[in-house]
Amino acid sequence: MLMGIFGSMVYKVDPLDIVGSPEQPPSDRFPLGTDSWGRDLLALLLTGTKSSISIGVTAAVIALAVGVVMGVIAGFKGGLTDSLLMMLTDVVLVLPSLLIMMLIAAYLKERNPLFVSLIIGVTSWPWVARAMRSQIMSLKSREFIYMSRMAGLRDMRIIAEDLLPNMASYTFMAFVLLMSGGMIAEAGLSMIGYGLTKGVSLGIILYWAQILEAVRRGLWWWFIPPGVCLVALAASLLLLSTALDEYFSPRLKGG
Amino acid sequence: MPLEVKNLTKVFAVGLFRRKEILAVDGVSFSVKPGEFVSLVGESGSGKTTTAKMILRLLQPTSGSIMFDGRDVWGLRGIDELRWYWKNVHGIFQDPYASYNPLHKIDRILYQAFMLMGHSSTDKDSMVEEVLREVGLRPDDVLGKYPHELSGGQRQRIMVARCYMLRPMLILADEPISMIDASTRASVLQLFSKLREESKTSVIFITHDLGLAYYVSDEIMIMHDGSIVEKGPPDEVIDHPQDPYTKRLREDVPLLYRKWTGF
Amino acid sequence: MALLQAEDIKAYYSVRKGYVKAVDGLDLVIEKGITVGLAGESGCGKTTLVNTLMMNVKPPLFLVEGTIILDGKVISKMDRSTLKKNVWGVLASIVPQSALNALMPTKRILDFVRDVISHHMDVSDSEVVSMAEKRFEELNLPVEALSLYPHELSGGMKQRAVIAVSTLLNPKLLVVDEPTSALDVSTQKQVLKILMDLKTTGITESMIFVTHDIAVLRQIADWIVIMYAGKIVESGSTENILHDPEHPYTYCLINAVVTPEPEVRKRGLTSIRGEPPNLLDPPKGCRFHPRCPKVMNICRSKEPVLVEIGGSRLVSCHLFPPDA
Repeated sequence: MLMGIFGSMVYKVDPLDIVGSPEQPPSDRFPLGTDSWGRDLLALLLTGTKSSISIGVTAAVIALAVGVVMGVIAGFKGGLTDSLLMMLTDVVLVLPSLLIMMLIAAYLKERNPLFVSLIIGVTSWPWVARAMRSQIMSLKSREFIYMSRMAGLRDMRIIAEDLLPNMASYTFMAFVLLMSGGMIAEAGLSMIGYGLTKGVSLGIILYWAQILEAVRRGLWWWFIPPGVCLVALAASLLLLSTALDEYFSPRLKGG
Repeated sequence: MPLEVKNLTKVFAVGLFRRKEILAVDGVSFSVKPGEFVSLVGESGSGKTTTAKMILRLLQPTSGSIMFDGRDVWGLRGIDELRWYWKNVHGIFQDPYASYNPLHKIDRILYQAFMLMGHSSTDKDSMVEEVLREVGLRPDDVLGKYPHELSGGQRQRIMVARCYMLRPMLILADEPISMIDASTRASVLQLFSKLREESKTSVIFITHDLGLAYYVSDEIMIMHDGSIVEKGPPDEVIDHPQDPYTKRLREDVPLLYRKWTGF
Repeated sequence: MALLQAEDIKAYYSVRKGYVKAVDGLDLVIEKGITVGLAGESGCGKTTLVNTLMMNVKPPLFLVEGTIILDGKVISKMDRSTLKKNVWGVLASIVPQSALNALMPTKRILDFVRDVISHHMDVSDSEVVSMAEKRFEELNLPVEALSLYPHELSGGMKQRAVIAVSTLLNPKLLVVDEPTSALDVSTQKQVLKILMDLKTTGITESMIFVTHDIAVLRQIADWIVIMYAGKIVESGSTENILHDPEHPYTYCLINAVVTPEPEVRKRGLTSIRGEPPNLLDPPKGCRFHPRCPKVMNICRSKEPVLVEIGGSRLVSCHLFPPDA
């Protein structure tokens, strides 16, 4: 668990430190070798990792924002609002996200990291909404909510003061999971050619490796490091979420 | 007549397509006078807590009317009218732990209530301290603490202190002493009596404990499967029960001064 | 010879801040053929005590000191596997507080029967079934319940089934820990009836009934033991305890009981200030002294001892000094 946390911390720190390395340096013999264009793969890896992480974070934030708002409103209001919002959620849930992402991606001439995050975020919020909604609904009939209602607090205030804080751990874990999923989605999108056109990411590195047949030609230093990085990041995030779950559960059950 | 309940009904629709219907409360009617202690007695599933939630304006009835002080409780609109209602009709729940948001200090439970009172901010602190003392707590012992740092008895007393601040006309107390140590229950009950003496507060006790109802009420209502099967002063209902359910209930309660027959 | 003899029991929980002295130097004797009610408020240590008496002791709970002799055997010296083979289920059985929820939802009642029996006896499955059926009939339980899953049974039925299965091998001592607290009064009566039936049919010899509900004890217990903060403060026959409580705490506890009887109304309800103490750091001297209406100076510094005051009645209070 601890290694998982530190592992991802280390990976995160490095690209931010060595941010000076330009993206396309002249061909030299560097620790991770060079790719077909003679670019320094270590620099690419570090920048790419940073980029992948930021895409993951942005996508997570977008998905979380939409999901939480939808879920909280639906769960709290109930009735017609709930039914309508949930129908909308189910529709988006059922749509094949990869296809949608591909369609949207194909339409955009230029795809920078922000757009990619947007695409991913917009297609991955439904499960968040459902999860938040069920949390709200179970919290709504806890006695302390009754006490706040009887004190004449307005709905917004009850949501802000009573409900959301008690969902903080839940939200945090959702964020971690979304981030991990977002990075993998980015890689997937890139690997099929619908990823970034501008900028570097782990997925793009893999993509280039793929189209230039690095596997067949045995250029292992090209595709193995980014792959390992991606897996390590995702895995460490998942471990983090498990650790958080352990930490939060007993606390919530009564200090 | 502060509270009048007529034909109150609540149907829960459950299941995937709202197929199954549960009749939780079935045409309940009763009234409560000022300064009266009334007990709504029933076992789990009888609908007594659901009834309480409807009267407290926390759960919408399916049909029926609740009139308080001549006004239709569920016809109230706007935050000001609601606040008026809750200043005059307030609730205390069974579980002194679940009644608090675990992430906030207990002070919030008391300071929240000022929302209903329109007080100037100058005497808030002294009022909070005063009511804590009235319920037998030392302000220094409890203020600034989180719910898990206090005992069940202290938490429940703070709930009652909130009512001491509001001085409502009517309190609905759902099993207020069942989760408190036996050696301190009587003193918490006393707090309700004091409110009645000082402010003519009425209390509806929601409980499964026939003994408590017998001891403390002016009127007992026995609830079973959503309806009130028997109603009247304790001596009549307990000593001369008419309804078979009441009779069975009374027979099955373990007594202190009499032994069960045929056991 | 008594069925159970416990001497100087010290059972502590090891926690970060030190030791919670749940049971701290306690002696207890349970005679054959009687039902003992163990009463006290939450946190007084009664659950810890009965689990310790059964040697159901797992970290963080430790039996720090003390001897327990059950049916002439020193069980406090036995290891877990011996206990499993020779004591648990056979000599003594416990129905713990959370028994209702502890049943695995994927096993039928008959499967539990098999578990219990197979642990101790080597019999064919058809014999197991017939044993179970016979026992259920004996106790007036529907035999069909054996083939049901726990969630298909009502709370009361589940509890009675658990009791029946726990006593399949006729243990001499049955311990039930708050068996009826979560049940309606009518269901409670049914469960209490089955417990009484166990004794009248001779399936069990003695029973320890742990509860905070004194009125229930009045109906089924021959002997009552009152606990406070890990110590026994008084014990005596049900009659004596209820009508003539000597210890100030017992007096308060009895008079805090509320039943729908005119006598209760007449005498009113008693309560004492303060609350049961934290067992990490209990009060010095008599543990009850901070709340006692009859406290004297000696109570604050010296712990009282259990003294016999006639007819096997025991009280632990400075109002009853040993030499009197």
